[in-house]
Amino acid sequence: MTTIDRPAPPPARTHKRDRRWVGQSVRRVEDPKFLRGRGGYLADLVTPGMLHAAVLRSPHPHARIVSIDTAAAAALDGVHAVITGAQAAELTDPLPDFGPDPANHVWRCLAVDTVRYVGEGVAVVVADSRYLAEDALELIQVEYESLPPIVDPQAALEPGAPLVHEPLGTNCAYERSFDFGDVERDFAEADLVVRDRLRWHRSGGQPLETVGAIADFDHGSGQLTVHTNSLSFTSYLFMAAASLRIPANRLDVRQVPAGGSFGSKLFVTKPLVLAGMCSRMVGRPVVFLEDRVDNIANCDHHGSDRVYDVELAVMRDGTLRGLAIDVIDDYGAYIQFGVGHHGNALAQVVGPYTIGSVRYRVRAALTNKNQQGAYRGFGSEVNNWMLEQMVDKAARELGMDPVEIRRRNFIRDFPYFIPTGNVYDSGDYDAVLDQTLRLGRYDHWRTEQKRLREQEGRYIGIGLITCAERSVFSATEFWFWFDEPGAPVTSMPESVTLTVDATGGITATLYSCAFWGNSPETMVAQLVAEEFDCDPHDVSVAYQGSRNGLPATGPGGSRTTVMLAGAVEGATAKIKAKARRAAAHLLEADPDDLEWADGGYQVRGVPDRRKSLGDIAIALHLFKHGFPEDIESGLEESKVFDHPYTTMPSADRKDLGVFYPFVGHACHIPVVEVDIESGAVRFLAYAAVHDCGTLVNPRSLAGHILGGVAQGIGTALYEEYVYDDDGQLLSSSYMDYLIPSAMEVPELAIGHVETPSPYTPHGIKGGGEGGRMMAPAAVNAAVNDALAPLGVRLTELPMTPERIRAALRTPR
Amino acid sequence: MKPPPFSYAAPPTIAEAVGLLAEHADAEPRVLAGGQSLIPLMNFRLAEPSHLIDLRNVAELSGIRLDGDVLVIGAMTRQSQIEQAPEVAIAAPLLAEATGLVGHTPIRNSGTIGGSLAHADPAAELPAVALALDADLVAAGPGGTRTIPAAEFLRGPFSTALAADEILTEIRLPRRAGGYAFVEFARTHGNFAIVAVAALVELDGDRISRAALALTGVAPTAIRATAAEDVLTGAVPDDATIAAAADAAVSGVRPAGDLHASAQTRIELARSHVRRAVTLALHRAQDQR
Repeated sequence: MTTIDRPAPPPARTHKRDRRWVGQSVRRVEDPKFLRGRGGYLADLVTPGMLHAAVLRSPHPHARIVSIDTAAAAALDGVHAVITGAQAAELTDPLPDFGPDPANHVWRCLAVDTVRYVGEGVAVVVADSRYLAEDALELIQVEYESLPPIVDPQAALEPGAPLVHEPLGTNCAYERSFDFGDVERDFAEADLVVRDRLRWHRSGGQPLETVGAIADFDHGSGQLTVHTNSLSFTSYLFMAAASLRIPANRLDVRQVPAGGSFGSKLFVTKPLVLAGMCSRMVGRPVVFLEDRVDNIANCDHHGSDRVYDVELAVMRDGTLRGLAIDVIDDYGAYIQFGVGHHGNALAQVVGPYTIGSVRYRVRAALTNKNQQGAYRGFGSEVNNWMLEQMVDKAARELGMDPVEIRRRNFIRDFPYFIPTGNVYDSGDYDAVLDQTLRLGRYDHWRTEQKRLREQEGRYIGIGLITCAERSVFSATEFWFWFDEPGAPVTSMPESVTLTVDATGGITATLYSCAFWGNSPETMVAQLVAEEFDCDPHDVSVAYQGSRNGLPATGPGGSRTTVMLAGAVEGATAKIKAKARRAAAHLLEADPDDLEWADGGYQVRGVPDRRKSLGDIAIALHLFKHGFPEDIESGLEESKVFDHPYTTMPSADRKDLGVFYPFVGHACHIPVVEVDIESGAVRFLAYAAVHDCGTLVNPRSLAGHILGGVAQGIGTALYEEYVYDDDGQLLSSSYMDYLIPSAMEVPELAIGHVETPSPYTPHGIKGGGEGGRMMAPAAVNAAVNDALAPLGVRLTELPMTPERIRAALRTPR
Repeated sequence: MKPPPFSYAAPPTIAEAVGLLAEHADAEPRVLAGGQSLIPLMNFRLAEPSHLIDLRNVAELSGIRLDGDVLVIGAMTRQSQIEQAPEVAIAAPLLAEATGLVGHTPIRNSGTIGGSLAHADPAAELPAVALALDADLVAAGPGGTRTIPAAEFLRGPFSTALAADEILTEIRLPRRAGGYAFVEFARTHGNFAIVAVAALVELDGDRISRAALALTGVAPTAIRATAAEDVLTGAVPDDATIAAAADAAVSGVRPAGDLHASAQTRIELARSHVRRAVTLALHRAQDQR
């Protein structure tokens, strides 16, 4: 077996005991403004006089644009500009694209000569109102010459398939097979190889407010100011400036609350570039806010769309030895984030199990669909589902109990390096499982299941899954796919500035997204309160736009809370160092004799000789001559916090390094009833226990779990972007793209286990994606458990009534 | 998703509304009731009426009353009112049960019984109720009013016997004895039915003396399942009879499959839901005795 030289983990931290604010379910500091309708969403910022942009969308999945006649549209009263894709290509450069070989699948804000999916933009109209803009769209005459569409990802990879991008010469945007550990040996020695083909169809995040941007280009200064509800990867916004051909220091992107993202607003630059291009042309502020059809058909953030062929090598006693995965992922017409989604999968590919080796072959297919982006889980939720399906199938083939096979394979020694090279920092999987079995009344439901089956002919299913939840990514996962990556970036920082005013009031300034549902203001307020012994609701939170902001990455990969905690901790240390020195002067004491206690510095052992933060702050702000010359006025410090634990991949890529090290865990036990006549699934109970390290706000995390489970139920049972064989998007509105409501989502029994991370402030791990990373696997397991007496397993999500009925007609 | 320009009027009387329809006959006028279907269609630009005649101010179009053994409901009566009205619970509980399955509460607060029937969505619940109850639909036009039996009213998907210059004013539902049931299969709560079944059964001793069944989701409009009614009528109901009725209900139907259910699944759903509806209606009929 190959031995890998790995850099030693960073020293384990000692976490503060007796925390006062971290761990409390304080009321969210964001709520009052949102509940009053004062959140300031993008649509709230639209003012009279602003011009409105609307985009003409392709009705064809694949066609050449022969001609566009915009004369009638441009002549309509109230229309200020009509810009075709060809004209846009003269005004802008391609959009930021992290995919492989972007020069051969060029992605622009509007299609130039070929449309590649239904909904791709071909022209934009700027008018006095959105109504007028849409009237003008109807007057644009486009002559298309249809090209054969390619819809099925497997067919797309066949020789002779119609090409989505001619210059690429293939629809396979990426292919590689990796071996981690001794795959051959593990499979040769296995008692049993469990095989399956699994299909996960595409769905996506559904934000209440769609993606939009208000752009205001000032020809006097050359400055473009954009308010947009996507502000992640803040440090990479210079790329959007490049698309607009303006210097990066002339672009200021200002934060607007996301109104829902779930990943789907991750680094969305197209509306920004469209609105910016239009504003620069007409010299007035322009708003482009997607409508629902725009968003569903053209958001560039459809989720994973995978076909798996999987083999799991197991021993007769239930030991899981090796895992061989062959996955085709349908990326749609472009591939903006490369196959980073599979980096997410590789971060926790073996789940919570001591599987010794992994073969991972991935092929990225291009087809005539809207492209993939980000959706809560970013591809690791798909891996969780695949792995739990395989473990359940192994248990069934071995005649083992699903609880027992999991316990037999749990990782128990931490830090633990999985075969891909990523590390799991800490965990206690048995504790999570034990609590979930109790909370979910597992034994009770097993008894009920038998009774209801025998006495009433009902099909009850109990799902049980145990899954990993990686958090806080490193950028390496976007490029370790290549031996010679184009941009092997390694920075993913987050910054905070803390300002203590003359009264001792604290303002925290953040540099990335305003609000993605992840409550960054509450997190920062609690973290600051913990450091300074103040009330979290007394902490003021401000945002700084991108232009003169500090380095920031924004939410994504469940990183925000951990990274903000590091930045708050760092900025606090600087503030306290200066405050200690100032207090020492004010108290005429040695700085080393002072201790921080109850919101101020005091002489150790002499509590009445103390200066509160307010005493120190007013002195620093107003009484310069009270201090030595080198102490500057004011009390403000910033911290740029870099990822606390990442390492580089090995040159041969047999080890990908540490790239997603803070790994939480969860166990879900849903209980469902399947109506075998109709194929309908309803919930009888649902228990979920998560371990995300030290909890900052249990109620806020419970909200993430509940929301994520709701989305996971959508993925498992309802939500699917359906393209027909001709490439038409059938589920182009909420008539047909079905989202579970409160009526479909059961009440959850939620539990928490806290296993602190040794490497993060307070031991916090990310938990923003958890519910959706587990629920699809859990619900599928429950349905399969219900149908087990009939010899039926569902291997395709979503499990629509149609698919359940079809499976029941042909038992396997 | 914004509609093209249109003109708009909200007249206070039926006569004025009918007059406006004639006056704007060349402008593809549309009558606006609760707006729960027409407004989205306009926003999608699938419907582009140049003139909209909103019936919200026509007071005489709203109301629920019993006229002897006939329940009379004004076309503009909101679905949530119907759902809660004691007259409906007594005289046409089938309608109350079905109305509760139309969309969600905010939709029913705006949506009207007349709007739903005149829109004639093939997946809607209320046309099946009208058919099962042998409702009479009253239309007003330039020449006065006329009464159209429900069976003649529904012509096809989004197509009715209403003439271009007519407005649906009233729905007359004969009171029926016996048991009732409205059961449907929808993908999510409040969604359109994939398949829905309206059932009415009357018992004479142990035998079914009268049965009425209407199905949604297996044909271009809601249909009466007369073959199934024939199987039930005169029979002593047992599992075999009900199963035979369910088979009869789907024999010969040729539903179109769609995104949510194939033709085969629709037939299976219709069969199982006829069985469920008849069984529930029978239980209720027996409970009444």
